[in-house]
Amino acid sequence: MSGRAGTNRERVMVMSCPDVDAEGFGRLVALVNAYCPRVESVRLGICAFGSRGPARYFGGEQALGGKLIAATESAGFACRIGVADGLFAALLAAATTGTSAAPAAATTGTSAAPAAAPAAATTGTSAAPAAAPAGAAPAAAPDGAAVTVVPAGGTAGFLAGQPVSVLDDAELAGLLARLGIRTLGDLAALPADSVASRFGEAGETAHRLARGEQRRPLAASAPPADLAVADEFDPPHELAEPVVFAAKGLAERFHAGLAARGVTCVRVEVEVTWADGRPSRRLWRHDGLLTAVQVADRVRWQLDGGGPAGTPEKQDAEGGGIARLRLVPDQVVRAAGRQLALWGDEVVADKVARAAMRVQALLGHDAVLRPVRSGGRTVRDQMQPVPFGEDLAPKLATDQPWPGRIPGPAPAVVYPEPKPARVSDAAGGPVTVSGRCVMSGIPAELSLDGEPELSVTGWAGPWPLAQRWWDPPSASREARFQLVTDDGRAWLATVRAGAWQIEAGYW
Amino acid sequence: MEALLADVQRLTRPRTAVITGEHSLPVLPGLRELLPGGGLARGSVITVPEVGLLLLALAAAASAEGAWCALAGVQEAGVLAAADLGLCPERTLLTPHLGPHWPQVVSSLADGCEIVIVRPPTAAPAQLRRRMEAGLRRAGGVLLVAGEWPGAQLQLRVLRREWSGLSDGRGRLRACRAEVGGYGRGAAGRPQTSWLWLPAEDGAVRPAAPPEISTPLRVVRAG
Repeated sequence: MSGRAGTNRERVMVMSCPDVDAEGFGRLVALVNAYCPRVESVRLGICAFGSRGPARYFGGEQALGGKLIAATESAGFACRIGVADGLFAALLAAATTGTSAAPAAATTGTSAAPAAAPAAATTGTSAAPAAAPAGAAPAAAPDGAAVTVVPAGGTAGFLAGQPVSVLDDAELAGLLARLGIRTLGDLAALPADSVASRFGEAGETAHRLARGEQRRPLAASAPPADLAVADEFDPPHELAEPVVFAAKGLAERFHAGLAARGVTCVRVEVEVTWADGRPSRRLWRHDGLLTAVQVADRVRWQLDGGGPAGTPEKQDAEGGGIARLRLVPDQVVRAAGRQLALWGDEVVADKVARAAMRVQALLGHDAVLRPVRSGGRTVRDQMQPVPFGEDLAPKLATDQPWPGRIPGPAPAVVYPEPKPARVSDAAGGPVTVSGRCVMSGIPAELSLDGEPELSVTGWAGPWPLAQRWWDPPSASREARFQLVTDDGRAWLATVRAGAWQIEAGYW
Repeated sequence: MEALLADVQRLTRPRTAVITGEHSLPVLPGLRELLPGGGLARGSVITVPEVGLLLLALAAAASAEGAWCALAGVQEAGVLAAADLGLCPERTLLTPHLGPHWPQVVSSLADGCEIVIVRPPTAAPAQLRRRMEAGLRRAGGVLLVAGEWPGAQLQLRVLRREWSGLSDGRGRLRACRAEVGGYGRGAAGRPQTSWLWLPAEDGAVRPAAPPEISTPLRVVRAG
């Protein structure tokens, strides 16, 4: 993580609201989100975001900060804002700012205490600022304005004056102080390799921070690491299909992890890593509404590069195949509502689900279907297949009468595509049906591909069916017949635009 | 809490459990006579030459009682007609296209479903067939094959059928009387034929009386 952090000098705005509880903080982040789309919750009471884009839009960092302070103040929050190069400096800048609602409190030691307490809670952040320098607010505007802007490039100078105690590594800070290194400026003046060899990793990190570099790049809406799930593929998958299939299982784990904590995510970041190490990341809206299959769909879109968000990714075969798939929750929020129905759907037995998913892995997601009884007039409409794992809601209402259905037994054979056929009368001429359902002759012979010539021994019809005349693309007008042939079988035939077709068979 | 969870699990468990452990799967009453043992023996293979109501009817009763049924490679199977006989669509899987590795697909389906209806896209070599049959016996399922399957325990076929209900331009299809023959190996060796309504006018499958032999009427001149 720290390897790529060194040169990344991002303008970071930190908003600190020390006395806020978890719920209020959620509202606060939502407020800030109205100005900046990607907000990282650093810890309770502190959020950070890259300010370059929003600041340009709102007319400068000071203006953006002012807007945010106004917005949050009217919502009842007392916030302080700091802007600097990098998160560490921005956090310090925010801590040194006078509080907007209670400027007097800023200079007292009390306002720094809440910030210090949660700092200890963030695991592994050995070098986050521990506390605001007590009583000192040199960079704060004299009128108690709630926004402190450390100008771009001025971060090192800003930090140089800070005491080493702002590093939240008390042991290291104490050691440095005893060695006579009292400010970050003193620390930054030391050669990096000497610091590293003397103080180890913690010292190295502290040294980087003191120089104004970042401990880590800003991870917008930092997800709790253990909610992210990943699958490694060894050997890497050359094709998208197995990855998409794996994504389904992965998404189930992902959802289970979120559900176990009673949270859900606003967005999910799909991170695909190719064997050559090149990653492809994309955020997808989730809102806790996506099923595992839908998450897998998004993985497919991302791999196909045909996703709604645009830029095509490289083909999977390039880069040596896909080595890793990771799902990261983005903006974790409390889950509200949408429980799995306990009594509703027919629960799929585990072994059936396993079998179906194995076949889906072999043949693709759409290869295993479940039939759903549906409304509609034609036999094909009345039973519609839905891919296994998806919602089984009928496409056409089943509680409507659907006049025009052919009564009687349903055909046991329904061709997926109607078969072209020829029906002729006793004289051998084709039987035609006029627009008013007047037949040119009596059906006597039926011929269709793959069958011998059959003679018609009984028939009924024509039954006209005009559907969806209001919608030209899907409108259909047809006349339907039942034919019985001399081999004992019966057929459902339609005449559409003058042509005979066999739709289904009764045998 | 534990008790509640157990309750929830019990109530949401699929009804498959109802028929596990039985030696054979139930069939519609009308078909019992044709099947040795009066049901679909678990681990057996039954063939019907073509996709049709007879094939679908074989699976209907077991599905209605909780078995899962897979239709593999039979795109044209009329699920609606099968559902009218009792097949439960909620417990049905459709795999319309089997692809080149169809034995693997069918084996996978047989691991999860008690009944697999399949039309083999290509003839399976004997070795592959035996392996699939072994898997079938292990899982306790039944393979209903539309087409040929050398070594099948039972072959059923419709010998003749006769639809009633429509004439020249009038009426509609109402019922079909069919003569079904069964030929099997071993205990099922005795050829068996019976007349069935396939389906009857109410949509059910039930035994039918053989049609009366229609001898042409002789004109008898009185006196």
